[in-house]
Amino acid sequence: MTTGNASTPSVPLQHIAAAISGAVFAFLVLPILVVVPLSFTAGELLVLPAPGFSLRWYELFFTDQRWLLASRNSLIVGVLATLAATALGTLAAIGLWLGSFRGRGLLLAVLALPLAVPAIISALALYFAFSAVGLANSLAGLVLGHTVLAAPVVVVTVLAQLRMVDRALLQAATSLGAGPVRLFRRVLLPLILPGVASGAVFAFATSFDDLMVALFLAGPGQFTLPREMYAGLREQLSPTICAAATVLVLVSGLLLGLSEVLRRRDGAGKGDPYS
Amino acid sequence: MMGPSGRRRTGIFLLLAPLGGLVLFAFLLPLGMLVWRAVDNTELATALPETTRLLRSWDGAGLPPEPVFAALAAELPKAADNQTLGLLSRRLNFEQLGMRALLLRASRVAQGFRAPYAEAFQALDPRWGEPELWQLLRRNALPVTPLYMLRAVDLTLSAGGGIVAMAGDEAIFRELFLRTIWIALVVTVLCLVIGYPVAWYLSMQSGRRARMLLLLLLLPFWTSVLVRTTAWFILLQREGVANSALRLLGLVEEPLTLIFTRTAVYLAMVHVMLPFMVLPLYGAMRRIDPVLLKAAASLGAPGWTQFRRIYLPLSLPGIAAGSLMVFTISIGFYITPALVGGNRDQMISTFIAFFVNQQVNWGMAAALGLLLLVLVGTMLYLLQRIVGARVLQAGRGAG
Amino acid sequence: MKRILATLAAAFVTVSVAAPIGPASAQPSRELFVVGFGGGFQDAARTTLFQAFQAATGQRVRDDTYNGELARIYAMVRSRDVVWDVVMVEAPELQRGCEDGAFAPIDWSVVRRDKFVPAGATRCGAGAVAWGAALFYDTARNPQAPANMAELWDVARFPGKRSFRFGPKMTLEIALMSDGVPREQVYRVLSTPAGLQRAFDRLEQIRPHIVWWRSGAQPLQFVGSGEVAYAFGFTGRVVQANQQGARYNMLWDTLLYSVDYWAVVNGSPYAQQGMRMIEWMTNLEPLQALARIWPASPAHRAFQEDATLRAASPHSVAANASRGLFIDTEFWVQNGEDLERRFAAWAGR
Repeated sequence: MTTGNASTPSVPLQHIAAAISGAVFAFLVLPILVVVPLSFTAGELLVLPAPGFSLRWYELFFTDQRWLLASRNSLIVGVLATLAATALGTLAAIGLWLGSFRGRGLLLAVLALPLAVPAIISALALYFAFSAVGLANSLAGLVLGHTVLAAPVVVVTVLAQLRMVDRALLQAATSLGAGPVRLFRRVLLPLILPGVASGAVFAFATSFDDLMVALFLAGPGQFTLPREMYAGLREQLSPTICAAATVLVLVSGLLLGLSEVLRRRDGAGKGDPYS
Repeated sequence: MMGPSGRRRTGIFLLLAPLGGLVLFAFLLPLGMLVWRAVDNTELATALPETTRLLRSWDGAGLPPEPVFAALAAELPKAADNQTLGLLSRRLNFEQLGMRALLLRASRVAQGFRAPYAEAFQALDPRWGEPELWQLLRRNALPVTPLYMLRAVDLTLSAGGGIVAMAGDEAIFRELFLRTIWIALVVTVLCLVIGYPVAWYLSMQSGRRARMLLLLLLLPFWTSVLVRTTAWFILLQREGVANSALRLLGLVEEPLTLIFTRTAVYLAMVHVMLPFMVLPLYGAMRRIDPVLLKAAASLGAPGWTQFRRIYLPLSLPGIAAGSLMVFTISIGFYITPALVGGNRDQMISTFIAFFVNQQVNWGMAAALGLLLLVLVGTMLYLLQRIVGARVLQAGRGAG
Repeated sequence: MKRILATLAAAFVTVSVAAPIGPASAQPSRELFVVGFGGGFQDAARTTLFQAFQAATGQRVRDDTYNGELARIYAMVRSRDVVWDVVMVEAPELQRGCEDGAFAPIDWSVVRRDKFVPAGATRCGAGAVAWGAALFYDTARNPQAPANMAELWDVARFPGKRSFRFGPKMTLEIALMSDGVPREQVYRVLSTPAGLQRAFDRLEQIRPHIVWWRSGAQPLQFVGSGEVAYAFGFTGRVVQANQQGARYNMLWDTLLYSVDYWAVVNGSPYAQQGMRMIEWMTNLEPLQALARIWPASPAHRAFQEDATLRAASPHSVAANASRGLFIDTEFWVQNGEDLERRFAAWAGR
């Protein structure tokens, strides 16, 4: 890289861009981090600098019946929705990859539709439909709703992984007499496992972060963590909310780390996944 | 017997069927129900089945014949008893003020009515002798109504059944849709203006450094929208972190009103949407071959010209993908404006929730939702045309 | 593939098995669900009414909160999946919900009718407690404060935000009274289109100075943090805050009050137990226990007739009712829904 060469813009321009980027990254990350010190405050008010250090809000979070129930619900719903979405999404992705039929593109678009429809409309539609069949106010309804919203993410992720699989491998295995089940277990699954796993991580994040569907579908005693936090924000602002938010940020960070590890192990480092 | 290709086809079908079935029954069907709810009109038929049947066969001229009045007199008290009258009177009152009181009053005394029923009703209230009232009842004997869709664009049905503009003090939805589009547009432009140099800077970095910086971008991307909105909610309180910082720096004397303002909505929404803009921009810029710029430079083109003629057009797919994605997701925002915005900063979603939770008016909620869906559908169609479905993959549901 | 299918099947089996884990699903052995407006009242009621009923009868009870919106109840009734049993409801919503079939008629053979004040026994609701809202402010932050509703509109003399409950009920009454309409004429004026317009115009005058609240805890939080200077808040909560050390001045002359009811959600599998609970909770002894720890005004005849009972809680709505405006239930039954729509449109414009 030589300066003055037009392919690399002039140094001042780079400095300006660097400064802007620094400010933007600070703008992106700092607000999220602000909840962390607030969650350790010894006081009742959400002010910085905090009057002292205390773990009382975490104690409250980890002992209060409502927060515990909400955490449990979030976990149950998240795990079940992830299992269902990953299984269904992987199967469908393989089907789409193997098949070359008319309307394949349309089918992919339809399967991906829950990604494109605004969250409020999905939630509203699910609320109308599930009310009609008695699934509103139930955890089962919430699991079903999250599965529908999370499955397309798995389809897209697994499909991206499948595109890197050499079809000749399958043909070779078939010619050696492998049946479809063996083919899947011994050949295909190991090849696409990173994609399936990162799809599952994405699916869990989708369910774990969801507020809109929970807002419409969760009945009493079925509040998830985001739903409980939302109620707290609208009713009684307390540092417990910051403690809950910190826990959620930690979970997000963990999931992000997991997806990065999966991405790297998959050796797809050559291609940039975001390009 | 099935040949190998038949078996293959069956296999593929079996692979696709589970998710296909799920999406069909738990997503497409509910969306269909949303459409149906926006025109559904069964309150009259549920509360007054016989009257409804007779109204459907009436030709609509003048006043209906005596049997309609008789059926109404017989069915009104029954509907009050089995608690179906309430939903009907709310539905009709929504269309025409005063209908609730009229129906409830009649239901309390209709038991004592004797033939001729038409006169008994008119003696109770002269409105029962007005043809326009019966037009209203007659059009609501039909199983579908255009009323909700009309109201969603600030139109309504006049007493005679014609389409007229909604009275000024209740007309809000055109303004609201425009505001929703405006907010989404401002957020998109802000994201583009802020995101473009960031993406450019990122694309200039070496692999390792770029990955590190991308992680900084991905952390907010993975953090739930609610947590991020919560952070802003707390930051922007009158005695919150932002105001203390401003006062500490001596920038303001009195705390500023930050929360419940449009500025707060823009801040929080840009914060949520920025990664959705930067990632596709970065992707597009990475694919630009530096050799092209070098060639241009060797031909003597100045920096600005290189940018305008070469770099900008080549990054256009990223701009298009990012902008449309930010716009379509922003347009459906609910939680962020609800938490950090004032009443005049609310978007259409707030009113959808208002009709579901406060008014229990599913028809209005469905009609507004349908309009929003059409709006987003148009956007996605454009997105598809310009950049293909692939970029949708990063579009995790936000809100 | 089999394995995946097996996983899939397992997942769905787990879903269907795990779903009833939620305490809300309609199993025969679930708890009785009581839902109220939360806050200090519900904390007080939890020990003196809910848990005391559980101790007395063995019926397990669990409580939850809501903001008075009927939507969830309507949805439950429509889908015949009722998971709330006993709910606390405001008067106009009770009557509307009763007409619409959201609430079951009270079984007056289980609940004794003669113990209630006259307005306390309706078709679908049994009177619980009177509640009220009044103007209050922090004396430490605001040495100077409006003395009445008219002065509340004087933003030049008394700067700072004002906070009202989001919605037309109470707000329109306050607007008219601030404009000089006497208490006893408020609903007569509101019943005319010109009067309604007058109320909205009056609100428009101070619109930029209003912060709306939606849950009962918010006005106290706003005033406590200095976000707003003057707020209308539920009297019980303000009294409680003062007991806990706050220095709020409350103007009882700005009181607006009404009665909340207990109702049973239509189609509740626990309707019978719900009726028995309502009967138990509206008896004198539990209500006295409640009144000892919360400035409550029960809709029980004894509290109206017995001056010593009233004098025992000087900060209750009942003791100050003569200074306030009774919120007209019938007016809000007739006009509530339309005015809520008009109000929402006004506020959002």
